[in-house]
Amino acid sequence: MHWSDVVIESLREHEVWHATYVPDAINWQVLAKLEADPAFTVVPAAREEEAIGIAAGVYAGGGRAAMFMQSSGFGNTINGLAQLLTAYRIPVPLFIGMRGGLGEFNEVQVPSARPIPAILDELHIQHYAPEREDEVQKYVDGAIELAYASRMPVAVLWYAQLVGAKRATS
Amino acid sequence: MLRREGIAALVRRLDNEPVIANLGPATFDLYASGDRDANLYTWGAMGLVSSIALGVAIAAPDRKVFVTDGDGSLLMNLGSLATIARQAPPNLVHIVWDNQMWFETGGQPTHTSTGTDLGGIARAAGIPNVARAATVEAFEEALDQAIREPGPWFIHVDIEETGEPRQRPKVVVEENLVKFRRTFTG
Repeated sequence: MHWSDVVIESLREHEVWHATYVPDAINWQVLAKLEADPAFTVVPAAREEEAIGIAAGVYAGGGRAAMFMQSSGFGNTINGLAQLLTAYRIPVPLFIGMRGGLGEFNEVQVPSARPIPAILDELHIQHYAPEREDEVQKYVDGAIELAYASRMPVAVLWYAQLVGAKRATS
Repeated sequence: MLRREGIAALVRRLDNEPVIANLGPATFDLYASGDRDANLYTWGAMGLVSSIALGVAIAAPDRKVFVTDGDGSLLMNLGSLATIARQAPPNLVHIVWDNQMWFETGGQPTHTSTGTDLGGIARAAGIPNVARAATVEAFEEALDQAIREPGPWFIHVDIEETGEPRQRPKVVVEENLVKFRRTFTG
């Protein structure tokens, strides 16, 4: 099973029927399939913090939502992570497509991605990074379970070790 | 008109419908109108209140969802109007109290004080139903229409600030969230 299908099965099993996102090429492998599946409601946002707010609202309204973004937009979410998800104890599984690591061609991706684990640590948001396809189920199932048990956001980071590096196109 | 007059008019019309309040005076005035489990008060994450309400409206399509925003906050998250327009939840009523200032930080004038028209931005973003009110009567008329007819609705309300002292609500945010969510999950 492709890693993206593993994520979808895990969302289904945990009744996470909503997803919010700002697109990136890595998470799009999951999101394109979610959008095609009528069981899921998928909401694109204009900016990452907005997607955090919408996901928080879904939970407040009795549902469950996951949020997908690229590492370059993570900085836009910090106030929402701190003053909304963490302060109110709102569980949202966060899926972050990590640029800026192995094979990165765009230098400005590097300083925005590198501090993400440290920032998550400071926010007391647990984070996990599967590196092989056969680890994805254990990590994603575990992260989603942990999010709802702890009533906290939990992040899964997709590094190039798992998903490959984006290639420069020109 | 005053924000608290608008909030009183709103709350009078509600049964178990959720209201999500912007940080600062909107939260203070909503609490002062009488605490209810279906009130979600915000204290930070400035700008996100309309996004939160969009999420609630999507998760609970059978309930009319009200959000009371502010001009300074909405200016921080204008993209939310485009996202709301794209999702077009018929059950969302987005009310903006426009006092033309960042009241909580000392009354510095916001961009609406120099002519930025939030209703015009909402319309251009694709929100189909936009109303503007500067009196309690006009607000009640717009609100009744928004309750009767499918949305999404955007009600832009010009308000005055009196600067009267406010009591800080005694709310534990985590408890507030749990109670609010229970109004949907039972």
